[in-house]
Amino acid sequence: MIAVSIDIGSTWTKGALFEVEGGDLTLKKRAIHPTTIQHLAIGFFEVLNDLLGSEHAIERVRSGEVSLSYSSSAKGGLAVAALGLVPSITLESARVAAYSAGAKVTQIFSYRLTRSDIRALESNPPDILLFAGGTDGGDVGHVLHNAELLAKSNVACSIVYAGNRAAQDDIVELLGHKDLVVVDNVLPSLDEPNPDPARKAMRDIFLKRIVKGKGLDEIIEATGAEPLPTPYAVYEYAKLIHEKIPGWSDFILMDMGGATTDIYSAHNQIQESGTILRGLPEPEVKRTVEGDLGMRVSAHVASETGRPMIEEHFAHDAERIAAFYSYIEKVTLEPDYLPEDQEGKDFDTLLAGVCAAYACERHAGRSTVVYTCDGSVDVVTGRDLTHVSKVIGSGGWMSRASHFDVSAWLKLRAVDQKGRTVLLPGNVEYFRDEQYLFPLLANLARNFPEAAAFAGIRMLSHS
Amino acid sequence: MQGPTIVIGVIGSDCHAVGNKILENVFSRAGFNVVNLGVMVSQDEYIDAAIETGAQAIIIGSIYGHGEIDCIGMRDRCIERGLDGIPLYVGGNLVIGKRDFKDVEVIFMGMGFDRVFPPDVDLDAVCQFLHQDTAAYAKHREAEATA
Repeated sequence: MIAVSIDIGSTWTKGALFEVEGGDLTLKKRAIHPTTIQHLAIGFFEVLNDLLGSEHAIERVRSGEVSLSYSSSAKGGLAVAALGLVPSITLESARVAAYSAGAKVTQIFSYRLTRSDIRALESNPPDILLFAGGTDGGDVGHVLHNAELLAKSNVACSIVYAGNRAAQDDIVELLGHKDLVVVDNVLPSLDEPNPDPARKAMRDIFLKRIVKGKGLDEIIEATGAEPLPTPYAVYEYAKLIHEKIPGWSDFILMDMGGATTDIYSAHNQIQESGTILRGLPEPEVKRTVEGDLGMRVSAHVASETGRPMIEEHFAHDAERIAAFYSYIEKVTLEPDYLPEDQEGKDFDTLLAGVCAAYACERHAGRSTVVYTCDGSVDVVTGRDLTHVSKVIGSGGWMSRASHFDVSAWLKLRAVDQKGRTVLLPGNVEYFRDEQYLFPLLANLARNFPEAAAFAGIRMLSHS
Repeated sequence: MQGPTIVIGVIGSDCHAVGNKILENVFSRAGFNVVNLGVMVSQDEYIDAAIETGAQAIIIGSIYGHGEIDCIGMRDRCIERGLDGIPLYVGGNLVIGKRDFKDVEVIFMGMGFDRVFPPDVDLDAVCQFLHQDTAAYAKHREAEATA
């Protein structure tokens, strides 16, 4: 069987054609065209026609001869604003759910919304407002206050209510005139996160409403196949590898692009003796996105975030630091720039090291030693990735860079600014998605899960 | 109908878990919806959990003798965080050394706790107080809301 996978990115629309035989998958052909932002379908069909090499590409898909799956992160992807009650509890649960749905979290709000929060939502509308707050049977006062303000506002985006069940009926009454979907609570009780219903609701809204605004509905009409947000597909793919591939139950996947760095980690948290876990339970697979860490569009902000690490790297040599920052200015203005000379390549490696290290630091949990009358105890919050031994690098730069030493960069963030231990692994095996196939294989995994998972791991280059 | 929600836990750097499990068991059997935060709980964690779960009381346990320093400012912090009008209980081995419990009670009452219990308190009596106090606080909140 022939399977085609296409990913519509913000700059490039990439595709690949695979032959699937039983559980085996072989890459046969690739195609790439610039994304046609005004009309996403044009670039998409150019790639599809390139791959299938005929005028009858669409007919072959419709007849079922060719299996098509595709994703999109173009036109800003899926923008979600998250609203919760306590920042570390339901707001955090809402953020985790939004990230797992492949969203970019554009705004966050906690406790009671203010009139200026409402104005911020009106002037910078997300695709979806994920509205959480209160465990089931818990606080209703805050969510009702927030619902009343939203009801009176001009906020017109889709709203997913995933808060206290006890307030559901009132929410429907207050917000029924808006585009409202009510689902089970993201946090029904403090030790039981439940992100899936909200995640599914966000995916459904993406399919039903958002694809239209982005012009993807034309592709659905022509081919009969539905898209997913790219990070949603990659999240599912990471989960699949975690569940199906022997030896890959624990790993970190970095997807570093020009604008953002996405970190996915798959991992079963176990409590070790001598440690106390605090905070919300961690999901098996988690995604976080850093909008200020990237290789081109975000190079400037990334280099500011990483300034201490960068200055240290150059041993505080003012001249070299200045040269680095002028390189950053250049690539920020010229996002397509690829360095030919050794200096430019070294600068890119440093920038990638900064993005990888800071993104992983923010993704990972923390540990602090507390002295008790029974001896010292490690208090752990968040994700303990110290035992993860495999890291996959994906994305334009990471796919190309054969000599990237990820362990060395992660070690530079072993301790955070508050002096707490960052729970990242020490020495890891580094695998590179050399052909940058992960997003494409992630799409394929919808129809051929096991074959795609095995192929992805097999095609990694191991350094 | 489910009884009042209460938040329990052992405060500070105290990792004694057994008493905490006993309290969870007793309070659950007495009809409370118990949110147990376990050991080594900070003041903010009690307050966060109480806000999110709409809890009607916070019960702080402490065994290791540093309860006094761990509990200072708890009531003020509740008020500061918008968690006004919630009964605060504290109990256990609250201070170091042989001090008269009456003196200990005065110290913790002064911090804004509603009830202070010694380590050998009868837990049935604590449950009685809890039912009484949560009902009284609820009535008070209602009266304030209608006023």
